[in-house]
Amino acid sequence: MRTGRPRSGRSRADRRNWGLAYLFVAPTVLLTVVFSIVPLVMLGWRSLQKGNVFGTSLRFVGMRNYREMLAEGGGKALGVTAEYTVAFVLLTMFLGLVLALLLNAKVPGASRLRAPFIIPLVVPAVATALIWGNLFAPRFGLLNRLLSGAGLSEIDFVSRPGPALGMVILFGTWQFFGQNVILYLAALKTLPQDVLEASSVDGAGPWQRFRYMQWPMLRRNTLLILVVTTLTGLQTFTQIYVLTSGGPDGATRTALFYVYDQGFAKFDAGRADAMGMLLFLLSLAVTGLQIAMLGRRDGRA
Amino acid sequence: MPRILLHRAAVYTLLAAAVLIVMFPLVWMALTAVKSNGQIINPAAPLWPTEWHWSNIPDAWGKAPFARWFVNTVVFAVAATLGQLAAGMLAGYAFAMFDFPGRRVLFALALSGLMIPFSAIIVPVAQILGDLHWLNTYQGLIVPNIASGLATFLFRQFFLGAPRQLAEAARIDGASELRIFWQVYAPLARPATAALGIILFLQNWNNFLFPLIAVNTTKMQVISQGLAVFQSQMTTQTQYNLIMSASLIAIVPVLLVAVAAQRHIVEGITLGAVD
Repeated sequence: MRTGRPRSGRSRADRRNWGLAYLFVAPTVLLTVVFSIVPLVMLGWRSLQKGNVFGTSLRFVGMRNYREMLAEGGGKALGVTAEYTVAFVLLTMFLGLVLALLLNAKVPGASRLRAPFIIPLVVPAVATALIWGNLFAPRFGLLNRLLSGAGLSEIDFVSRPGPALGMVILFGTWQFFGQNVILYLAALKTLPQDVLEASSVDGAGPWQRFRYMQWPMLRRNTLLILVVTTLTGLQTFTQIYVLTSGGPDGATRTALFYVYDQGFAKFDAGRADAMGMLLFLLSLAVTGLQIAMLGRRDGRA
Repeated sequence: MPRILLHRAAVYTLLAAAVLIVMFPLVWMALTAVKSNGQIINPAAPLWPTEWHWSNIPDAWGKAPFARWFVNTVVFAVAATLGQLAAGMLAGYAFAMFDFPGRRVLFALALSGLMIPFSAIIVPVAQILGDLHWLNTYQGLIVPNIASGLATFLFRQFFLGAPRQLAEAARIDGASELRIFWQVYAPLARPATAALGIILFLQNWNNFLFPLIAVNTTKMQVISQGLAVFQSQMTTQTQYNLIMSASLIAIVPVLLVAVAAQRHIVEGITLGAVD
Protein backbone atom coordinates (compact mmCIF):
# COMPACT_ATOMS: atom_id res chain seq x y z
CA MET A 1 0.00 0.00 0.00
CA ARG A 2 1.43 3.34 -0.98
CA THR A 3 1.40 6.30 1.27
CA GLY A 4 0.59 9.60 -0.35
CA ARG A 5 2.74 12.57 0.47
CA PRO A 6 0.80 15.77 0.66
CA ARG A 7 2.65 18.57 -1.12
CA SER A 8 2.62 22.15 -0.12
CA GLY A 9 0.94 24.79 -2.27
CA ARG A 10 -0.95 23.66 -5.39
CA SER A 11 -1.43 19.92 -5.30
CA ARG A 12 1.15 18.52 -7.71
CA ALA A 13 0.60 14.80 -7.94
CA ASP A 14 3.83 12.80 -7.91
CA ARG A 15 5.28 10.76 -10.73
CA ARG A 16 3.40 7.67 -9.68
CA ASN A 17 0.20 9.42 -10.77
CA TRP A 18 1.38 9.99 -14.31
CA GLY A 19 0.25 6.56 -15.41
CA LEU A 20 -3.19 7.13 -13.94
CA ALA A 21 -3.42 10.58 -15.54
CA TYR A 22 -2.57 9.20 -18.99
CA LEU A 23 -5.08 6.41 -18.47
CA PHE A 24 -7.77 8.93 -17.56
CA VAL A 25 -7.23 11.20 -20.56
CA ALA A 26 -6.59 8.37 -23.05
CA PRO A 27 -10.19 7.61 -24.14
CA THR A 28 -11.03 11.24 -24.87
CA VAL A 29 -7.72 12.07 -26.52
CA LEU A 30 -7.51 8.92 -28.65
CA LEU A 31 -11.13 9.07 -29.81
CA THR A 32 -10.79 12.77 -30.62
CA VAL A 33 -7.72 11.98 -32.71
CA VAL A 34 -9.38 9.09 -34.56
CA PHE A 35 -12.80 10.68 -35.12
CA SER A 36 -12.02 14.40 -35.37
CA ILE A 37 -8.38 15.12 -36.16
CA VAL A 38 -7.66 12.28 -38.57
CA PRO A 39 -10.90 13.02 -40.48
CA LEU A 40 -9.93 16.69 -40.65
CA VAL A 41 -6.53 15.80 -42.15
CA MET A 42 -8.24 13.40 -44.57
CA LEU A 43 -10.70 16.16 -45.43
CA GLY A 44 -7.93 18.57 -46.36
CA TRP A 45 -5.99 15.95 -48.31
CA ARG A 46 -8.94 14.37 -50.11
CA SER A 47 -10.38 17.75 -51.06
CA LEU A 48 -7.41 17.96 -53.44
CA GLN A 49 -8.17 14.62 -55.09
CA LYS A 50 -10.77 12.98 -57.27
CA GLY A 51 -12.46 9.74 -56.21
CA ASN A 52 -15.72 8.53 -54.69
CA VAL A 53 -16.58 8.15 -51.01
CA PHE A 54 -15.22 4.63 -50.58
CA GLY A 55 -13.07 4.71 -53.73
CA THR A 56 -9.42 3.73 -53.62
CA SER A 57 -8.45 5.17 -57.01
CA LEU A 58 -7.62 8.67 -55.89
CA ARG A 59 -5.73 11.07 -58.08
CA PHE A 60 -4.36 14.47 -57.21
CA VAL A 61 -6.15 17.36 -58.93
CA GLY A 62 -5.03 20.37 -56.89
CA MET A 63 -7.70 23.02 -56.42
CA ARG A 64 -9.99 21.64 -59.13
CA ASN A 65 -12.58 20.32 -56.65
CA TYR A 66 -12.85 23.76 -55.09
CA ARG A 67 -13.26 25.47 -58.47
CA GLU A 68 -15.83 22.93 -59.68
CA MET A 69 -17.64 23.00 -56.35
CA LEU A 70 -17.94 26.79 -56.34
CA ALA A 71 -19.00 26.94 -59.99
CA GLU A 72 -21.52 24.09 -59.85
CA GLY A 73 -23.92 24.74 -57.01
CA GLY A 74 -21.45 25.25 -54.18
CA GLY A 75 -21.25 29.01 -54.60
CA LYS A 76 -25.01 29.21 -54.55
CA ALA A 77 -25.10 26.95 -51.49
CA LEU A 78 -22.76 29.33 -49.66
CA GLY A 79 -25.08 32.20 -50.56
CA VAL A 80 -28.11 30.28 -49.27
CA THR A 81 -26.18 29.44 -46.09
CA ALA A 82 -25.40 33.12 -45.58
CA GLU A 83 -29.02 34.17 -46.14
CA TYR A 84 -30.34 31.43 -43.89
CA THR A 85 -27.81 32.03 -41.12
CA VAL A 86 -28.21 35.82 -41.03
CA ALA A 87 -32.01 35.60 -40.89
CA PHE A 88 -31.89 32.74 -38.38
CA VAL A 89 -29.44 34.55 -36.09
CA LEU A 90 -31.32 37.86 -36.16
CA LEU A 91 -34.73 36.28 -35.56
CA THR A 92 -33.69 33.84 -32.83
CA MET A 93 -31.62 36.46 -31.00
CA PHE A 94 -34.30 39.14 -31.19
CA LEU A 95 -37.08 36.82 -30.06
CA GLY A 96 -34.82 35.23 -27.46
CA LEU A 97 -34.01 38.61 -25.93
CA VAL A 98 -37.59 39.89 -25.99
CA LEU A 99 -38.97 36.78 -24.34
CA ALA A 100 -36.16 36.65 -21.80
CA LEU A 101 -36.97 40.25 -20.83
CA LEU A 102 -40.65 39.37 -20.47
CA LEU A 103 -39.89 36.27 -18.41
CA ASN A 104 -37.52 38.35 -16.28
CA ALA A 105 -40.12 41.05 -15.64
CA LYS A 106 -41.13 41.40 -12.02
CA VAL A 107 -44.47 39.72 -12.57
CA PRO A 108 -45.60 36.82 -10.38
CA GLY A 109 -45.15 33.45 -12.03
CA ALA A 110 -43.63 34.81 -15.23
CA SER A 111 -40.37 32.92 -14.96
CA ARG A 112 -42.26 29.64 -14.61
CA LEU A 113 -43.49 30.07 -18.18
CA ARG A 114 -40.07 29.35 -19.66
CA ALA A 115 -40.73 25.59 -19.99
CA PRO A 116 -42.77 25.76 -23.23
CA PHE A 117 -39.88 27.49 -25.00
CA ILE A 118 -37.48 24.61 -24.51
CA ILE A 119 -39.86 22.04 -25.98
CA PRO A 120 -39.26 22.72 -29.70
CA LEU A 121 -35.56 22.54 -28.92
CA VAL A 122 -35.59 19.08 -27.38
CA VAL A 123 -38.17 17.08 -29.34
CA PRO A 124 -36.93 15.27 -32.47
CA ALA A 125 -36.45 17.72 -35.36
CA VAL A 126 -37.61 15.19 -37.94
CA ALA A 127 -40.99 14.97 -36.24
CA THR A 128 -41.44 18.73 -35.87
CA ALA A 129 -40.27 19.28 -39.46
CA LEU A 130 -43.05 16.94 -40.58
CA ILE A 131 -45.57 19.08 -38.67
CA TRP A 132 -44.32 22.21 -40.43
CA GLY A 133 -44.48 20.41 -43.75
CA ASN A 134 -48.14 19.76 -42.99
CA LEU A 135 -48.83 23.35 -41.87
CA PHE A 136 -47.18 24.79 -45.01
CA ALA A 137 -48.55 22.22 -47.48
CA PRO A 138 -50.09 23.57 -50.71
CA ARG A 139 -53.90 23.74 -50.76
CA PHE A 140 -54.76 21.79 -47.59
CA GLY A 141 -52.02 23.16 -45.32
CA LEU A 142 -53.38 25.33 -42.50
CA LEU A 143 -51.45 28.42 -43.62
CA ASN A 144 -52.77 28.30 -47.17
CA ARG A 145 -56.28 27.60 -45.93
CA LEU A 146 -56.08 30.69 -43.73
CA LEU A 147 -54.73 32.74 -46.63
CA SER A 148 -57.47 31.67 -49.02
CA GLY A 149 -60.03 32.04 -46.24
CA ALA A 150 -58.91 35.66 -45.85
CA GLY A 151 -59.34 36.15 -49.60
CA LEU A 152 -55.58 36.27 -50.25
CA SER A 153 -53.76 34.21 -52.84
CA GLU A 154 -52.16 30.99 -51.66
CA ILE A 155 -48.39 30.64 -51.42
CA ASP A 156 -46.63 27.60 -52.83
CA PHE A 157 -43.97 26.87 -50.22
CA VAL A 158 -42.90 23.72 -52.02
CA SER A 159 -42.06 24.84 -55.55
CA ARG A 160 -41.28 28.55 -55.17
CA PRO A 161 -37.70 29.35 -54.06
CA GLY A 162 -38.37 32.40 -51.88
CA PRO A 163 -41.25 30.97 -49.85
CA ALA A 164 -39.40 27.64 -49.48
CA LEU A 165 -36.40 29.38 -47.92
CA GLY A 166 -38.73 31.49 -45.80
CA MET A 167 -40.48 28.37 -44.51
CA VAL A 168 -37.16 26.74 -43.55
CA ILE A 169 -36.03 29.94 -41.77
CA LEU A 170 -39.31 30.19 -39.85
CA PHE A 171 -39.12 26.56 -38.82
CA GLY A 172 -35.49 26.92 -37.70
CA THR A 173 -36.43 30.00 -35.70
CA TRP A 174 -39.37 28.28 -34.02
CA GLN A 175 -37.16 25.33 -33.18
CA PHE A 176 -34.13 27.16 -31.77
CA PHE A 177 -35.10 30.55 -30.33
CA GLY A 178 -35.86 28.86 -27.00
CA GLN A 179 -32.14 28.33 -26.55
CA ASN A 180 -31.57 32.07 -26.73
CA VAL A 181 -34.48 32.69 -24.35
CA ILE A 182 -32.74 30.48 -21.77
CA LEU A 183 -29.29 31.99 -22.42
CA TYR A 184 -30.50 35.60 -22.23
CA LEU A 185 -32.62 34.83 -19.17
CA ALA A 186 -29.61 33.31 -17.40
CA ALA A 187 -27.56 36.37 -18.37
CA LEU A 188 -30.23 38.81 -17.14
CA LYS A 189 -30.29 37.04 -13.77
CA THR A 190 -26.57 37.68 -13.29
CA LEU A 191 -26.88 41.47 -13.71
CA PRO A 192 -26.49 43.47 -10.48
CA GLN A 193 -30.10 43.83 -9.30
CA ASP A 194 -29.40 46.72 -6.90
CA VAL A 195 -28.14 48.93 -9.72
CA LEU A 196 -31.21 48.15 -11.80
CA GLU A 197 -33.52 48.82 -8.86
CA ALA A 198 -31.80 52.11 -8.13
CA SER A 199 -32.49 53.18 -11.70
CA SER A 200 -36.22 52.43 -11.27
CA VAL A 201 -36.26 54.55 -8.16
CA ASP A 202 -34.69 57.33 -10.19
CA GLY A 203 -37.68 57.09 -12.51
CA ALA A 204 -36.18 55.19 -15.44
CA GLY A 205 -38.88 53.28 -17.39
CA PRO A 206 -38.43 49.72 -18.64
CA TRP A 207 -37.18 50.91 -22.04
CA GLN A 208 -34.59 53.29 -20.61
CA ARG A 209 -33.48 50.66 -18.15
CA PHE A 210 -33.00 48.22 -21.03
CA ARG A 211 -31.40 50.67 -23.45
CA TYR A 212 -28.92 52.28 -21.09
CA MET A 213 -28.30 49.58 -18.47
CA GLN A 214 -29.20 46.00 -19.38
CA TRP A 215 -28.25 46.07 -23.06
CA PRO A 216 -24.73 47.47 -22.48
CA MET A 217 -24.20 45.09 -19.56
CA LEU A 218 -25.27 42.16 -21.73
CA ARG A 219 -22.70 42.86 -24.46
CA ARG A 220 -20.44 39.96 -23.57
CA ASN A 221 -23.38 37.55 -23.39
CA THR A 222 -24.74 38.84 -26.68
CA LEU A 223 -21.41 38.10 -28.33
CA LEU A 224 -21.35 34.56 -26.93
CA ILE A 225 -24.96 33.94 -27.96
CA LEU A 226 -24.19 35.35 -31.42
CA VAL A 227 -21.38 32.83 -31.87
CA VAL A 228 -23.35 29.85 -30.57
CA THR A 229 -26.35 30.77 -32.73
CA THR A 230 -24.24 31.34 -35.84
CA LEU A 231 -22.62 27.92 -35.43
CA THR A 232 -26.08 26.36 -35.04
CA GLY A 233 -27.26 28.17 -38.17
CA LEU A 234 -24.26 27.03 -40.21
CA GLN A 235 -24.98 23.41 -39.28
CA THR A 236 -28.66 23.35 -40.14
CA PHE A 237 -29.38 20.02 -41.79
CA THR A 238 -32.30 17.95 -40.50
CA GLN A 239 -34.82 20.72 -41.13
CA ILE A 240 -33.79 20.97 -44.79
CA TYR A 241 -33.44 17.22 -45.30
CA VAL A 242 -37.03 16.66 -44.20
CA LEU A 243 -38.80 19.81 -45.41
CA THR A 244 -37.29 20.57 -48.82
CA SER A 245 -34.33 18.25 -49.62
CA GLY A 246 -32.53 21.42 -50.68
CA GLY A 247 -35.13 22.31 -53.31
CA PRO A 248 -36.73 23.83 -55.23
CA ASP A 249 -33.82 24.21 -57.63
CA GLY A 250 -31.25 24.53 -54.83
CA ALA A 251 -33.06 27.42 -53.14
CA THR A 252 -32.67 25.81 -49.70
CA ARG A 253 -29.50 23.82 -50.37
CA THR A 254 -27.14 25.02 -47.65
CA ALA A 255 -23.41 24.30 -47.51
CA LEU A 256 -23.89 21.32 -45.20
CA PHE A 257 -26.68 19.93 -47.31
CA TYR A 258 -24.39 20.30 -50.32
CA VAL A 259 -21.70 18.27 -48.52
CA TYR A 260 -24.21 15.53 -47.76
CA ASP A 261 -25.70 15.56 -51.24
CA GLN A 262 -22.33 15.42 -53.04
CA GLY A 263 -20.83 12.88 -50.65
CA PHE A 264 -23.70 10.49 -50.08
CA ALA A 265 -26.07 10.90 -53.02
CA LYS A 266 -23.77 11.89 -55.91
CA PHE A 267 -20.71 10.14 -54.46
CA ASP A 268 -18.36 12.95 -55.46
CA ALA A 269 -16.19 12.93 -52.34
CA GLY A 270 -13.78 15.52 -53.73
CA ARG A 271 -16.40 18.24 -54.06
CA ALA A 272 -18.04 17.24 -50.77
CA ASP A 273 -14.69 17.50 -49.00
CA ALA A 274 -13.89 20.84 -50.61
CA MET A 275 -17.16 22.26 -49.24
CA GLY A 276 -16.57 20.49 -45.91
CA MET A 277 -13.23 22.27 -45.68
CA LEU A 278 -14.90 25.65 -46.28
CA LEU A 279 -17.51 24.83 -43.66
CA PHE A 280 -14.77 23.97 -41.17
CA LEU A 281 -12.87 27.19 -41.91
CA LEU A 282 -16.06 29.21 -41.59
CA SER A 283 -16.87 27.71 -38.17
CA LEU A 284 -13.27 28.21 -37.09
CA ALA A 285 -13.41 31.87 -38.11
CA VAL A 286 -16.60 32.40 -36.08
CA THR A 287 -15.15 30.72 -32.99
CA GLY A 288 -11.80 32.46 -33.46
CA LEU A 289 -13.54 35.82 -33.65
CA GLN A 290 -15.25 35.08 -30.35
CA ILE A 291 -12.03 34.04 -28.62
CA ALA A 292 -10.22 37.10 -29.96
CA MET A 293 -12.96 39.48 -28.82
CA LEU A 294 -13.44 37.90 -25.41
CA GLY A 295 -9.66 37.79 -24.91
CA ARG A 296 -9.34 41.49 -25.71
CA ARG A 297 -12.09 42.40 -23.26
CA ASP A 298 -10.55 40.17 -20.59
CA GLY A 299 -7.23 41.92 -21.08
CA ARG A 300 -8.78 45.31 -20.59
CA ALA A 301 -10.76 44.34 -17.51
CA MET B 1 -50.84 51.19 -8.88
CA PRO B 2 -52.86 51.02 -12.11
CA ARG B 3 -49.59 51.44 -14.01
CA ILE B 4 -48.26 48.28 -12.38
CA LEU B 5 -51.43 46.40 -13.25
CA LEU B 6 -51.23 47.59 -16.84
CA HIS B 7 -47.60 46.53 -16.97
CA ARG B 8 -48.49 43.08 -15.63
CA ALA B 9 -51.37 42.67 -18.04
CA ALA B 10 -49.10 43.53 -20.97
CA VAL B 11 -46.42 41.07 -19.87
CA TYR B 12 -48.94 38.26 -19.36
CA THR B 13 -50.64 38.91 -22.70
CA LEU B 14 -47.39 38.88 -24.65
CA LEU B 15 -46.13 35.78 -22.85
CA ALA B 16 -49.42 33.96 -23.35
CA ALA B 17 -49.37 34.79 -27.06
CA ALA B 18 -45.78 33.53 -27.37
CA VAL B 19 -46.57 30.29 -25.52
CA LEU B 20 -49.61 29.69 -27.74
CA ILE B 21 -47.61 30.25 -30.93
CA VAL B 22 -44.80 27.99 -29.76
CA MET B 23 -47.09 25.17 -28.67
CA PHE B 24 -49.51 25.43 -31.58
CA PRO B 25 -47.64 23.14 -34.03
CA LEU B 26 -47.66 20.34 -31.44
CA VAL B 27 -51.38 20.77 -30.81
CA TRP B 28 -51.96 20.77 -34.56
CA MET B 29 -49.95 17.56 -34.86
CA ALA B 30 -52.10 15.85 -32.22
CA LEU B 31 -55.35 17.00 -33.87
CA THR B 32 -54.18 15.99 -37.35
CA ALA B 33 -52.99 12.62 -36.10
CA VAL B 34 -56.53 11.54 -35.21
CA LYS B 35 -58.35 12.98 -38.25
CA SER B 36 -59.47 10.92 -41.18
CA ASN B 37 -57.23 11.37 -44.19
CA GLY B 38 -60.17 12.70 -46.16
CA GLN B 39 -60.67 15.51 -43.68
CA ILE B 40 -56.98 16.50 -43.93
CA ILE B 41 -56.87 16.62 -47.71
CA ASN B 42 -60.16 18.50 -48.13
CA PRO B 43 -59.35 22.24 -47.87
CA ALA B 44 -62.99 23.01 -47.03
CA ALA B 45 -63.27 20.54 -44.13
CA PRO B 46 -63.47 21.89 -40.57
CA LEU B 47 -60.15 22.41 -38.78
CA TRP B 48 -61.29 20.56 -35.65
CA PRO B 49 -61.53 16.76 -36.08
CA THR B 50 -65.09 15.79 -37.04
CA GLU B 51 -64.44 12.20 -36.02
CA TRP B 52 -61.70 11.07 -33.69
CA HIS B 53 -59.78 8.20 -35.27
CA TRP B 54 -57.72 7.05 -32.31
CA SER B 55 -56.87 3.88 -34.21
CA ASN B 56 -54.55 5.94 -36.47
CA ILE B 57 -51.89 5.75 -33.79
CA PRO B 58 -51.76 1.93 -33.52
CA ASP B 59 -52.16 1.80 -37.33
CA ALA B 60 -49.03 3.89 -37.83
CA TRP B 61 -47.19 1.86 -35.18
CA GLY B 62 -48.05 -1.34 -37.06
CA LYS B 63 -46.90 -0.10 -40.47
CA ALA B 64 -43.21 0.25 -39.60
CA PRO B 65 -40.77 -1.26 -37.06
CA PHE B 66 -41.07 1.61 -34.59
CA ALA B 67 -40.34 -0.68 -31.62
CA ARG B 68 -37.01 -1.69 -33.17
CA TRP B 69 -36.17 1.95 -33.97
CA PHE B 70 -36.92 2.95 -30.37
CA VAL B 71 -34.68 0.16 -29.06
CA ASN B 72 -31.86 1.28 -31.38
CA THR B 73 -32.30 4.88 -30.26
CA VAL B 74 -32.28 3.93 -26.58
CA VAL B 75 -29.15 1.79 -27.01
CA PHE B 76 -27.39 4.54 -28.97
CA ALA B 77 -28.44 7.49 -26.82
CA VAL B 78 -27.87 5.79 -23.45
CA ALA B 79 -24.51 4.25 -24.37
CA ALA B 80 -23.20 7.39 -26.08
CA THR B 81 -24.27 9.60 -23.16
CA LEU B 82 -22.76 7.33 -20.49
CA GLY B 83 -19.59 7.11 -22.56
CA GLN B 84 -19.40 10.90 -22.94
CA LEU B 85 -19.94 11.45 -19.21
CA ALA B 86 -17.42 8.79 -18.18
CA ALA B 87 -14.72 9.80 -20.64
CA GLY B 88 -15.30 13.49 -19.97
CA MET B 89 -15.23 13.09 -16.21
CA LEU B 90 -12.03 11.03 -16.25
CA ALA B 91 -10.23 13.39 -18.61
CA GLY B 92 -11.53 16.51 -16.89
CA TYR B 93 -10.41 15.16 -13.51
CA ALA B 94 -6.92 14.31 -14.75
CA PHE B 95 -6.47 17.71 -16.45
CA ALA B 96 -7.62 19.49 -13.29
CA MET B 97 -5.88 17.45 -10.58
CA PHE B 98 -2.71 15.95 -12.01
CA ASP B 99 0.40 17.56 -13.38
CA PHE B 100 2.01 15.40 -16.02
CA PRO B 101 4.29 15.85 -19.01
CA GLY B 102 2.37 16.84 -22.14
CA ARG B 103 -0.69 17.99 -20.22
CA ARG B 104 -1.14 21.19 -22.22
CA VAL B 105 -0.82 19.48 -25.59
CA LEU B 106 -3.17 16.67 -24.59
CA PHE B 107 -5.69 19.18 -23.25
CA ALA B 108 -5.59 21.11 -26.52
CA LEU B 109 -6.10 17.83 -28.41
CA ALA B 110 -9.03 16.87 -26.16
CA LEU B 111 -10.72 20.23 -26.80
CA SER B 112 -9.92 20.36 -30.52
CA GLY B 113 -13.13 18.46 -31.18
CA LEU B 114 -15.01 21.62 -30.18
CA MET B 115 -13.36 23.47 -33.08
CA ILE B 116 -14.02 20.72 -35.64
CA PRO B 117 -17.76 20.53 -36.27
CA PHE B 118 -18.86 17.02 -37.12
CA SER B 119 -20.88 18.38 -40.02
CA ALA B 120 -17.70 19.41 -41.86
CA ILE B 121 -16.11 15.96 -41.66
CA ILE B 122 -19.03 13.63 -42.41
CA VAL B 123 -17.43 12.20 -45.54
CA PRO B 124 -14.06 11.19 -44.01
CA VAL B 125 -15.81 9.89 -40.86
CA ALA B 126 -17.97 7.66 -43.07
CA GLN B 127 -14.79 6.47 -44.82
CA ILE B 128 -13.18 5.63 -41.47
CA LEU B 129 -16.30 3.77 -40.32
CA GLY B 130 -16.21 1.84 -43.60
CA ASP B 131 -12.52 0.98 -43.15
CA LEU B 132 -13.25 -0.28 -39.63
CA HIS B 133 -16.23 -2.32 -40.94
CA TRP B 134 -18.33 -0.43 -38.42
CA LEU B 135 -21.08 0.75 -40.76
CA ASN B 136 -24.49 -0.55 -39.62
CA THR B 137 -23.21 -1.59 -36.18
CA TYR B 138 -23.93 -0.33 -32.66
CA GLN B 139 -20.24 0.37 -32.03
CA GLY B 140 -20.18 2.45 -35.19
CA LEU B 141 -23.07 4.52 -33.84
CA ILE B 142 -21.71 4.84 -30.30
CA VAL B 143 -17.90 4.95 -30.20
CA PRO B 144 -17.29 7.95 -32.51
CA ASN B 145 -19.58 10.05 -30.28
CA ILE B 146 -17.87 9.31 -26.96
CA ALA B 147 -15.11 11.92 -27.00
CA SER B 148 -16.79 15.14 -25.87
CA GLY B 149 -14.79 18.33 -25.72
CA LEU B 150 -17.70 19.97 -23.93
CA ALA B 151 -17.85 17.31 -21.19
CA THR B 152 -14.06 17.36 -20.77
CA PHE B 153 -14.01 21.14 -20.49
CA LEU B 154 -16.93 21.34 -18.05
CA PHE B 155 -15.65 18.57 -15.77
CA ARG B 156 -12.19 20.17 -15.73
CA GLN B 157 -13.77 23.49 -14.72
CA PHE B 158 -15.78 21.73 -12.06
CA PHE B 159 -12.85 19.86 -10.52
CA LEU B 160 -10.64 22.96 -10.63
CA GLY B 161 -13.21 24.59 -8.36
CA ALA B 162 -13.49 21.59 -6.01
CA PRO B 163 -11.69 21.86 -2.65
CA ARG B 164 -8.16 20.38 -2.72
CA GLN B 165 -8.06 19.68 1.01
CA LEU B 166 -10.32 16.64 0.53
CA ALA B 167 -7.70 14.91 -1.62
CA GLU B 168 -4.91 15.79 0.74
CA ALA B 169 -6.79 14.51 3.75
CA ALA B 170 -7.64 11.28 1.92
CA ARG B 171 -4.00 10.82 0.89
CA ILE B 172 -2.90 11.15 4.51
CA ASP B 173 -5.43 8.46 5.34
CA GLY B 174 -3.72 6.27 2.75
CA ALA B 175 -6.46 6.25 0.12
CA SER B 176 -5.33 5.40 -3.41
CA GLU B 177 -5.69 8.04 -6.16
CA LEU B 178 -8.34 5.91 -7.82
CA ARG B 179 -10.37 5.79 -4.61
CA ILE B 180 -9.95 9.52 -4.10
CA PHE B 181 -11.38 10.09 -7.55
CA TRP B 182 -14.22 7.61 -7.27
CA GLN B 183 -15.28 8.06 -3.65
CA VAL B 184 -14.44 11.68 -2.93
CA TYR B 185 -14.63 13.75 -6.11
CA ALA B 186 -16.94 11.88 -8.48
CA PRO B 187 -19.89 12.15 -6.01
CA LEU B 188 -19.30 15.91 -5.71
CA ALA B 189 -19.86 16.22 -9.45
CA ARG B 190 -23.27 14.57 -9.37
CA PRO B 191 -25.46 17.68 -9.85
CA ALA B 192 -23.31 18.96 -12.72
CA THR B 193 -23.35 15.46 -14.22
CA ALA B 194 -27.15 15.38 -14.19
CA ALA B 195 -27.50 18.69 -16.05
CA LEU B 196 -24.84 17.84 -18.60
CA GLY B 197 -26.12 14.28 -18.93
CA ILE B 198 -29.66 15.28 -19.82
CA ILE B 199 -28.46 17.71 -22.49
CA LEU B 200 -26.07 15.17 -24.00
CA PHE B 201 -28.79 12.53 -23.87
CA LEU B 202 -31.29 14.72 -25.74
CA GLN B 203 -28.63 15.67 -28.29
CA ASN B 204 -27.82 12.02 -28.90
CA TRP B 205 -31.48 11.04 -28.99
CA ASN B 206 -32.24 13.70 -31.59
CA ASN B 207 -29.02 13.27 -33.56
CA PHE B 208 -29.99 12.73 -37.16
CA LEU B 209 -26.94 13.50 -39.30
CA PHE B 210 -24.58 11.05 -37.60
CA PRO B 211 -26.88 8.00 -37.74
CA LEU B 212 -27.68 8.97 -41.33
CA ILE B 213 -24.07 8.37 -42.37
CA ALA B 214 -23.34 5.50 -39.93
CA VAL B 215 -26.33 3.19 -40.42
CA ASN B 216 -28.80 2.70 -43.27
CA THR B 217 -30.54 -0.63 -42.70
CA THR B 218 -34.06 -0.75 -41.28
CA LYS B 219 -32.74 -2.99 -38.51
CA MET B 220 -30.14 -0.49 -37.35
CA GLN B 221 -31.79 2.88 -37.92
CA VAL B 222 -32.79 5.20 -35.09
CA ILE B 223 -36.25 6.70 -34.62
CA SER B 224 -35.51 9.98 -36.46
CA GLN B 225 -34.27 8.13 -39.53
CA GLY B 226 -37.11 5.66 -39.35
CA LEU B 227 -39.60 8.52 -39.17
CA ALA B 228 -38.07 10.13 -42.27
CA VAL B 229 -38.30 6.82 -44.14
CA PHE B 230 -41.88 6.32 -42.96
CA GLN B 231 -42.75 9.82 -44.12
CA SER B 232 -41.53 9.23 -47.66
CA GLN B 233 -43.48 5.94 -47.86
CA MET B 234 -46.67 7.47 -46.49
CA THR B 235 -46.39 10.59 -48.66
CA THR B 236 -46.51 8.48 -51.81
CA GLN B 237 -49.66 6.87 -50.36
CA THR B 238 -50.82 10.34 -49.15
CA GLN B 239 -51.49 8.99 -45.66
CA TYR B 240 -50.95 12.34 -43.96
CA ASN B 241 -52.79 11.35 -40.78
CA LEU B 242 -50.44 8.42 -40.26
CA ILE B 243 -47.40 10.69 -40.74
CA MET B 244 -48.70 12.90 -37.91
CA SER B 245 -49.49 9.83 -35.77
CA ALA B 246 -45.93 8.61 -36.24
CA SER B 247 -44.57 12.07 -35.35
CA LEU B 248 -46.69 11.95 -32.22
CA ILE B 249 -45.23 8.54 -31.36
CA ALA B 250 -41.71 9.94 -31.80
CA ILE B 251 -42.36 13.12 -29.82
CA VAL B 252 -44.29 11.93 -26.77
CA PRO B 253 -41.48 10.03 -24.96
CA VAL B 254 -39.11 12.98 -25.35
CA LEU B 255 -41.81 15.40 -24.28
CA LEU B 256 -42.32 13.44 -21.05
CA VAL B 257 -38.57 13.44 -20.32
CA ALA B 258 -38.39 17.16 -21.12
CA VAL B 259 -41.23 18.08 -18.78
CA ALA B 260 -39.87 15.90 -15.97
CA ALA B 261 -36.28 17.13 -16.30
CA GLN B 262 -37.07 20.74 -17.16
CA ARG B 263 -34.79 22.29 -14.52
CA HIS B 264 -31.79 20.19 -15.51
CA ILE B 265 -32.37 20.99 -19.18
CA VAL B 266 -32.39 24.72 -18.54
CA GLU B 267 -29.20 24.39 -16.50
CA GLY B 268 -27.63 22.19 -19.15
CA ILE B 269 -28.38 24.63 -21.99
CA THR B 270 -26.61 27.36 -20.03
CA LEU B 271 -23.65 25.04 -19.37
CA GLY B 272 -23.52 24.02 -23.01
CA ALA B 273 -22.96 27.54 -24.30
CA VAL B 274 -19.34 27.74 -23.19
CA ASP B 275 -17.77 26.81 -26.51
